[in-house]
Amino acid sequence: MNKLPLLFVGILLVFSTSWIGLVAYPYLKLGRLAPEASRDGLVPPPLTASAIGGERVYAANGCIYCHSQQVRPAWLSTDIEKGWGPRQTVARDYIRESPPFLGTMRTGPDLTNIDVRRPDRVWHYQHLYEPGTVTPGSIMPSFRFLFKVQPIKDRPSFEAVAVHGPHAPPRGYEVVPTQDARDLVAYLLSLKHNYPLPEAGDPPAADAGK
Amino acid sequence: MSSERTPPEPESFGDPPQPEEIDLSKIHGSILREHDEPAEGRESVPLWLVTIMMALVFWGGMYLAFYSGGFRAESFNPRRGMAGGAVDSNDPATLGRRVFTQNCVLCHQATGLGVPGVYPPLAGSEWVLGRDWRGDNHLVAILLNGLQGPVRVGGAAFDNAMPGWSILRDEEIAAVLNYIRTAWGNTAPPIPVEFVRQRRGLTAARAAPWSAGELQAIARESAPAPAPQPADELPFRRKAAR
Amino acid sequence: MSDLLQSLNPGTPPDARSYVERAEIDASLRAPVLLFFGTGVAWLLLGSLLGVLAAFKMSFPHLLDSADWLTFGRVRPAHLNIMVYGWASAVGIGVGIWLMARLCRVAPRHRGLLIGAGIAWNLGVLAGTIGILAGQSRSIEWLEFPGWATPILFVAYALIGVWGVIMFRFRRPGHVYVSQWYLLAAFLWFPWLYATANTLLIWQPVQGSVVGAVNWWYGHNVLGLWFTPIGLASAYYMIPKVLGRPIHSYYLSILGFWSLALFYSWNGMHHLIGGPFPAWMISASVVASVMMFIPVITVAINHHATMRGHFHYLKWSPTLRFTVVGAMTYTIVSLQGSLMAIPSLNNLTHFTDYTIGHAHLGLYGFFTMTMFGAMYYIVPRLVGWEWPSAAMIRWHFWLAASGVALMVGSLTLGGFLQGLELNDPQVAFLTSLKTVAPFRFVRACSGILLSAAHLVFAVLFIRMLLRQGGPRAEATLLSPPEIPAV
Repeated sequence: MNKLPLLFVGILLVFSTSWIGLVAYPYLKLGRLAPEASRDGLVPPPLTASAIGGERVYAANGCIYCHSQQVRPAWLSTDIEKGWGPRQTVARDYIRESPPFLGTMRTGPDLTNIDVRRPDRVWHYQHLYEPGTVTPGSIMPSFRFLFKVQPIKDRPSFEAVAVHGPHAPPRGYEVVPTQDARDLVAYLLSLKHNYPLPEAGDPPAADAGK
Repeated sequence: MSSERTPPEPESFGDPPQPEEIDLSKIHGSILREHDEPAEGRESVPLWLVTIMMALVFWGGMYLAFYSGGFRAESFNPRRGMAGGAVDSNDPATLGRRVFTQNCVLCHQATGLGVPGVYPPLAGSEWVLGRDWRGDNHLVAILLNGLQGPVRVGGAAFDNAMPGWSILRDEEIAAVLNYIRTAWGNTAPPIPVEFVRQRRGLTAARAAPWSAGELQAIARESAPAPAPQPADELPFRRKAAR
Repeated sequence: MSDLLQSLNPGTPPDARSYVERAEIDASLRAPVLLFFGTGVAWLLLGSLLGVLAAFKMSFPHLLDSADWLTFGRVRPAHLNIMVYGWASAVGIGVGIWLMARLCRVAPRHRGLLIGAGIAWNLGVLAGTIGILAGQSRSIEWLEFPGWATPILFVAYALIGVWGVIMFRFRRPGHVYVSQWYLLAAFLWFPWLYATANTLLIWQPVQGSVVGAVNWWYGHNVLGLWFTPIGLASAYYMIPKVLGRPIHSYYLSILGFWSLALFYSWNGMHHLIGGPFPAWMISASVVASVMMFIPVITVAINHHATMRGHFHYLKWSPTLRFTVVGAMTYTIVSLQGSLMAIPSLNNLTHFTDYTIGHAHLGLYGFFTMTMFGAMYYIVPRLVGWEWPSAAMIRWHFWLAASGVALMVGSLTLGGFLQGLELNDPQVAFLTSLKTVAPFRFVRACSGILLSAAHLVFAVLFIRMLLRQGGPRAEATLLSPPEIPAV
């Protein structure tokens, strides 16, 4: 192997096979998927402006390092039995996400369908402010920096978050979410992938709920 | 940058080492004592390695042939024609278990024990089993509209909110009630779909969750005698049945 | 060649010519390589600190949690990116250019290109790290540096790449050694990888799940086609060089090189088994991962057969001890990786600490140890000084080796138990956290061992630059050699 041009071409040619297969191919085949029409409108539904802001907060604070957003199929794993979702997630589930947070760790629960399990906005605020108060034993860090602790003016703010226990604000003060916290919760509440998709195979159990 | 093939003059080196700097007697010992630049021997590739390689290539080809879903972009399952995670949703036992794992497990836990002080247990719960003043109608009502405020379960006090699950079909509600009444050592008769349908009709106007006190004010009712059900052993782990 | 060579007497032995040639190469590379090494060591210390902090946050979630820039989700990617770009890539570039110049047997031109690249590279890493801590990350693993920082890195890298190709172009004619193949390939692959990933993920993001595919094509190839070739090039050079015997087999080298290029580049999707991707892509990665057995076992035979009968060198040669431990770890970690890609086993290890253990075994046990070995060889030649303390080298080795063993051991065992519980629908989620908690604490403590190792090495490196410890006539060896040192 003393011929430089041959070595050069060989090195690039061999590598280009994986570029074609793992980059160009999905780009061409999955890079322009359209949402699917369903009885309840398009699925996956578009994100609200607030949820798009929340996506950025989710990324900035690295939620992905503990929370996955993917449900593996039943032939491979117990994800569905475990309650992470009614069916495996497929490419079309992620077309609204930029970037999609597939994740590689489950130090925390999978969030693909967190809105199905936790539709309560207040719970999310309390949980983000101090996870231990609503989930004893949680090792999620507190995201207090997404909230303001401010003195109560004439009357409590309409969106003041009730925090009890040792982390409660001092008397006369209240905890209110910042815009980042509102956006993040809006994003979490948009995570709901229990609609049917033809390529996903398994029709969800709550399919004909109405 | 020059692209001539001839060896460059010392001046053209980006930073030419000054010849007078390099004095053989001043070259550091680490350079003087080192061996020549490495060379290569010409031993041949062992036969056993070639054999293993061939076997691996064969295995790889077979794997790709069998587990590539026909090499289609929309095929998310390696076995062509095999549905993603399909289970037979007509079987009430499986359906109930599935509804539970999708909707209930996060609070009440897969063990049915809940979280002490936060989420009430279902295992051994008087509400689930229909003990004392609590009837089947109360359990169905909680599931349809939710339950809010203080409640005692198994001697412990809880103060939390459970959302209503009226989005579930009657079959699903019946199935999941059936599941929680037979799992974790619970033994209570199943609640038929017709009973759920009837209760849903009666409480259709109500949107707010119940409180424990409100429920106690309602007289106990039992579902009509259940249709015979096979006492199914729940599979611990579902296998793809193909 | 230089005037000096011409001025030498015709009767000068051939060795003298190569001494001067090497001395010239080393003299002209002194500044750029020491720049990459020095900044690399500084990033290594900072990265270790962040790693230890992130690890202890797992055990004590309230540790330093009031400021947004110190939250776990920012410290962890800062740790990873500093280690990948600030330490491993920088020191890899330093070792790579030195090996390339030595094997091409020309004193390199355009040293300014390399120094400029070194400065720009470090500015890029600094900007990117600040970006992550300031909340500018897009949470694409291994590519967390914000889009305004990565072009700096790319330009810096382009300068190095151009330099590398010129270097190779003007090499002294003759045999091209296996290390040169690996280095040339790494220097060509990395810009392709980095440009593709940044274009499709950061600057012009593609839609939906395609991001995941490109992300892990990049993420795994940085390991497989950037760090691994540099690490192997170093091992392929250092083992025969220190022993003074040829590498076992040229044919095994060829087989190992091309099978690595083909199979490693297809590995990425094994990080996404069960994910939202066409089945064939994932199956292709599973097959390619298992096929990695071929290049790995080939390299292992080649290195082992070269070492055979000379393992006692490990007792006294710092270079060889670090390099051989690194090369052996390469075999272990790669075979482990092949097994982890098999879906039924991946099901157990995916989403757990087991994978984190595997990543540290690869990037630390293999690559970092190999780079330490190379630095122990290269730095004395650049500085013209012997390492000031054998005791400190011993401390460095044993702290690093025991630290990484403890870390990988605890993560592997803890991750295995975590995987069993995550897969069991009867077990509540929080139980899996309680199970891994003690293992995570041990792992955080192992980070302290590694940080101590890095501190020892940093002090040693600075003492070396300051030429402390008195002049020595002989190499600094870990223990007195049983055979005469050469």
